[in-house]
Amino acid sequence: MRFFDRWRYEARRAGRATLLAPWLVTALLAAGATLAARTAGNGAIPRTLLSAVEMAIPLVVGVSAASLVGRDPAVELQLAMPAGYRGTLLRRWAVTVAASALLAAGLCGGLMASGWWARWPRTHGVLLGQLTWAAPVCWLAGLGLLAGAVLRGPAAAATVVTAPWLLEQLLPDQLQAHQWSRLLYLFATTGGRDADWGPNRFVLLASSVPLAAGAWLLLGQTQRLLGGETG
Amino acid sequence: MTAALRYELRMQLRRPDLWSVTAVTVVLLWLLTARSLPIFLSEDPRTAMIRAIIICNVPLPIGYAFLLADRLVRDERLGVAALLDATPSSRPGRLLGKYLGCAAATALPVATIYFGFSAVYTIRNGAPQALSWALAMFATITVPALLFVGAVSLCGPLVMPTAVFRVLFVGYWMWSSYLVPPKLVPTLTQTVIYPMGGYPIQVFFGYRGGHASGGSDWAGPVPGALFNALRPAPTVATAWLSIAVIVGLAALTLSAAHLVCERRTR
Repeated sequence: MRFFDRWRYEARRAGRATLLAPWLVTALLAAGATLAARTAGNGAIPRTLLSAVEMAIPLVVGVSAASLVGRDPAVELQLAMPAGYRGTLLRRWAVTVAASALLAAGLCGGLMASGWWARWPRTHGVLLGQLTWAAPVCWLAGLGLLAGAVLRGPAAAATVVTAPWLLEQLLPDQLQAHQWSRLLYLFATTGGRDADWGPNRFVLLASSVPLAAGAWLLLGQTQRLLGGETG
Repeated sequence: MTAALRYELRMQLRRPDLWSVTAVTVVLLWLLTARSLPIFLSEDPRTAMIRAIIICNVPLPIGYAFLLADRLVRDERLGVAALLDATPSSRPGRLLGKYLGCAAATALPVATIYFGFSAVYTIRNGAPQALSWALAMFATITVPALLFVGAVSLCGPLVMPTAVFRVLFVGYWMWSSYLVPPKLVPTLTQTVIYPMGGYPIQVFFGYRGGHASGGSDWAGPVPGALFNALRPAPTVATAWLSIAVIVGLAALTLSAAHLVCERRTR
């Protein structure tokens, strides 16, 4: 099987619905924002789109990444193939992340071109502004893959991804009270302090590397991949 | 139905994911309440129990939905659905048994966490009436919510991938929670189909305030908000109506799932 065939196959294996999930979630949020604009004013639409970029899309990526391990019906067969199963999973993971990254980058571009981006006080230019989505996407994608590799059950792994996301949604003020939690805060653009934005994005990106590396190591242990719960 | 219920209950209780998800949600709840727990423990039994149930009802149904989401589609993926269809058992009975069995097993950790807190409160404050309040609140607020979430979680993945359902469920749960102010965002909060039980909270247990979105009402109309037709004035009748509507929606969702399964078999 050629290099491009493998990528094309994994894109199909990831599933059209999974690849379209970030689009669906963003469309639902945009529809809600359009309704909300009636009562909350026009600012609701750019605010919601920015929330989609920094909050919703990263959650979609994280939960999708958490659902990769344990869903292949014939892992034994996959493990016996010349193409390593770890590589297969990582390709599927990269396709899932890339589909969401494409949408997030497009949304950022649209917000910048329309002038809505500048209406939000905490924005950081064309290139740096892309870190609005890139940092939480990488962090939750890394966490999702690691949780999937450790727990081998999509339900438990998705809960591990959703827990910090939910905690940061519910306790934004308490998490802004400490330097360490400000640096790990996923929603620094929409809810953090301006001074911490750069270091926060850097820490999130940097900490996603060990998360993904941990997953890479665990996925290499063939015996761990056998007998996981499917779902 | 009874055999399916028994089997699904045992299968779900023996599933390692059930306990992994419970462990994660316990840590999450601990982080959420670490500061407010001493305050809860010093309040009167009714207020302490209602506040605890309100906090529990944000993260626990999410884990509950995640665990139930793959139960129905799993039969098709493993190829046992057709085999079960060939047995003398009726399909609606099996569906109902699966729903009740899975839901009961998955609700067990939720109940353990809530009643565990009630027991700690009762022992610490010497107030046994806390357990009665906890029981009444669990029956009228949490059980209808879990029945509804359980039905939606079993059936949602029939029409979309499980991972997509899980993400949409988190969005739905946050959107329809008391965290979103109905004045600013069109939401189900304070309606009769609000799954966190706003009507029972306000009418049966007289609780107001403590609203994360700044308001004090848990049920009833909000001036200027959308969906006010679904927000009748909070009375005992509308509180029971709210419970009936939520349970009815669960039954409707299960009926829809039955039809989808029937259609797929043809």
